[in-house]
Amino acid sequence: MSDLVTFDQARLGYGRRAVLTDISFSIPKGDFLGLVGPNGAGKTTILRTILGSLRPLGGTVEVTPGLRFGYVPQRDSLSYDFPLTVQEVVLMGRYDRIGLGRRPTADDRRLATLSLEHVGIASLAARQFADLSGGQKQRTLIARALVGTPDILVLDEPTNGMDLVSTIHILGLVRELYERDGLTVLMVSHALNEVANYVERIALVMEGMFRIGSVDEIMNEPTLSKMYGIPVDVESMNGHRIVLARRGVSQGTHDHA
Amino acid sequence: MLDTVLLFREALYGALLIGLACSVLGVYVVLRRIVFVGAALAQLSSAGIALALFLGGLGVGGELTHHPVAVSLIVTLSGALFFGLGGAGRSRVPPDATIGVTYAVAAAAGILLIAKATTGEAHDIFLSGNILGITRADTYVLLAVSVPVLLLHLAFYKEFLFVSFDPETARTLGYQVTRWNLLLYLTLGLVIAFAMQFAGVMLVFNFLVLPAVTGLLVARSMAGIFTVAVLAGLLASMLGFVLSVPFDLPSGPAIIAVSGALALAAWGVRRLRGA
Repeated sequence: MSDLVTFDQARLGYGRRAVLTDISFSIPKGDFLGLVGPNGAGKTTILRTILGSLRPLGGTVEVTPGLRFGYVPQRDSLSYDFPLTVQEVVLMGRYDRIGLGRRPTADDRRLATLSLEHVGIASLAARQFADLSGGQKQRTLIARALVGTPDILVLDEPTNGMDLVSTIHILGLVRELYERDGLTVLMVSHALNEVANYVERIALVMEGMFRIGSVDEIMNEPTLSKMYGIPVDVESMNGHRIVLARRGVSQGTHDHA
Repeated sequence: MLDTVLLFREALYGALLIGLACSVLGVYVVLRRIVFVGAALAQLSSAGIALALFLGGLGVGGELTHHPVAVSLIVTLSGALFFGLGGAGRSRVPPDATIGVTYAVAAAAGILLIAKATTGEAHDIFLSGNILGITRADTYVLLAVSVPVLLLHLAFYKEFLFVSFDPETARTLGYQVTRWNLLLYLTLGLVIAFAMQFAGVMLVFNFLVLPAVTGLLVARSMAGIFTVAVLAGLLASMLGFVLSVPFDLPSGPAIIAVSGALALAAWGVRRLRGA
């Protein structure tokens, strides 16, 4: 499989301040990678480097020329004052293809409708985006990412602030897109327990440490205990893996498990 | 009454043009929550005029100070450049505080400079403007500035919308977000600098905020907001102006009062609709 993105001994950060050093990994075509870690660990730094808005301070980061990202931003990064319909939001995913100064055509609108059908919310096309539930908003943003026929779908904290049912539905939808459409997916999240049961590989970022591997290679007690700095248990329940901090262990410097 | 209004028809055309251009740009100002950037730019523009009058009185600055609008334009566009490049958010000081500092300092500088200027008109034009003084030549100048700006915004509506609504995603699709923001701020600075000469800080600020708020209250689409904002801006200009002439009221505050009444009516409509 060809690699879409390759980090080679990359040093990442802002200005002169390195947040992560010696980062080496690849995202091959057809991968479903979960980039997981607590807030402030460096997930966004890696994400921004992949998306090209941040340059590495050292080493190399290679992105396949012309690679098209289907980006799903965090929902709270958007402005909900704009009175946009769901279809208008989805159409934005085609703006760069439509070209500067041109208006969306009937074909663009048809593709937007198809994309909404693809994520199961075609009936909401005329609704105001701001009035939707968290899960519906997320589906709209996924539809927008898909309408541009991306090479890789990138989701930033897609389940943040969602209830359990919406979380399961959104993660299930992303898994379905991966399996059904063969999409390459990069999902950024702080919730290891959620992500681990849907992705194929996990990249764990933790206080300057970085570890990447298959779910089995990461979701085990020795690896996670070392990364979190406290003993943890990895339990299996109905085929799902759950990470638990071992009882009686005093709080360390980490907030997330 | 009609005769009196017709006597000042150039002023009315000018007010309508300023109302039109500011109402359109005001939609972005309100939706992007940069209302006080508009106020700060208007205040910078007035400080620019004051600077030109002050330097002109001292006999320095050469030809430039004979054209206060040129100095005002330089100062306002410098401010637009600063805010457009995200200068307000780069230091440890919160962005809104930087905008507040700009507003306060520009306002004080304008008053101090004009107080010591040996040339120039009455000082209160900085606040209330002198819209009745608009001539046919001024109307042409306002047309020459407003029409290209409005056409630019019409042509690149989708681009301005995208970088305003979701700059992060726009960037991933190859949009030069900083450049688009800069273009938006520069067109804003341009319109403000020219409108300020006649309308004053208070009226320009009004046109940037109230018509867009009126639109936001009653419309449920972007096209609707722009339409209602433009209609509210034009109606306020017309009614405010027509009422101010026979009743001998200052035109600027009269226009603002009508804008306020329209916004209040829009709020009432929204309440009635139960939204």
